[in-house]
Amino acid sequence: MRSHERTARRYAKALYDVAREAGATEAIGQELEQVAAVFTGDAGAHDVLTRPWIKPADRRGVAMGIAQKAGAGKLVQDFVGLVAERGRADHLPEIVGAYRTLVDDELGRARAQVRSAVALTDGEKRALSGKLEHALGKRIILEEQVDATLLGGFIAQVGSLIFDGSLDGQLARMRQRLARG
Amino acid sequence: MIRVLAIAALLLGVLPAAALASEGGGGLINLDRSIIIQGINFLLLLLILGKLLYKPLLAKMEERTQAIRKSLEEAQAARAEAQREREEHAGKLQAAYAEAQAIRATALKEAAEEQRRLVEGARAEAGRLVESARNEMAQEVTRARQALRQEVVDLAITAAERLIRKSLRDEDHRRIVQDAIGRVEKVG
Repeated sequence: MRSHERTARRYAKALYDVAREAGATEAIGQELEQVAAVFTGDAGAHDVLTRPWIKPADRRGVAMGIAQKAGAGKLVQDFVGLVAERGRADHLPEIVGAYRTLVDDELGRARAQVRSAVALTDGEKRALSGKLEHALGKRIILEEQVDATLLGGFIAQVGSLIFDGSLDGQLARMRQRLARG
Repeated sequence: MIRVLAIAALLLGVLPAAALASEGGGGLINLDRSIIIQGINFLLLLLILGKLLYKPLLAKMEERTQAIRKSLEEAQAARAEAQREREEHAGKLQAAYAEAQAIRATALKEAAEEQRRLVEGARAEAGRLVESARNEMAQEVTRARQALRQEVVDLAITAAERLIRKSLRDEDHRRIVQDAIGRVEKVG
């Protein structure tokens, strides 16, 4: 898994360098996300691009076709074609994540994945973003997800940092304290 | 022996002379020239008897005496040898007895030592077993307590979760979220 991530970071860095030279890191990132969403959502395309017995040139052609249909520019089409040709199409989600991190670092921002028991109000989102920005010194982009399995509150993750403000977390801590005696 | 031979010779010499005297009617011994012949006869007879009978008899007697003496000496030597051997055997027996006693004493000592060692070992092993059993029992009790505590905690937390899930209203969610947001400062 680690090597998977390392490989994804290498590809993402290569694309990021070219995109930065072109001055279109954000736009390229959005195109890449769209193409990755198509790959992930289309099981047939995923199968074709990840099967090793399909010729690399064919994989490249299929990937570029998909990227073109998804509305990606030439750079992203070529990039996705190269990734598929080298048999790394299954790395695309990780490449997208790594690319996003590079762009976020460049722009001094971070993404906070927030799981909450109920949808956060706009005010709550702003308050949470403000608190996280204050705590981390970066602009925060909230990526919210409602998780019905949570009892209450939310869990926010920024990179490797996790803030557990859920009732589940409090109960789990209480469970540990009580179990330890 | 010599005396016997002399008497025999005398009788041989006198009896013919007495016989001659009785034939002549002149008594037991006639003092005439026949007495000289008788004397010569007697001497000849004495000489012949001495040569043929007396000397071999003496030699034989001497030989037997020597044989008896030799037998006696051999018997003496055999007895002395038997005595020596008996003493030697007695000595060996004594030594063997002493050695057997020493071996027995050593064996007894070793057996006592072995017994002591075994008893000590068994005692130590028993102590270890008791200690181990005690420890295991203590661990088992601790585990059981921990399991029981965990079970009670699980039951209590599960019940609390159900209760919370049932009782939470929207305003409670809002309050919980706001409380959590208020605590975000502690992230760093």
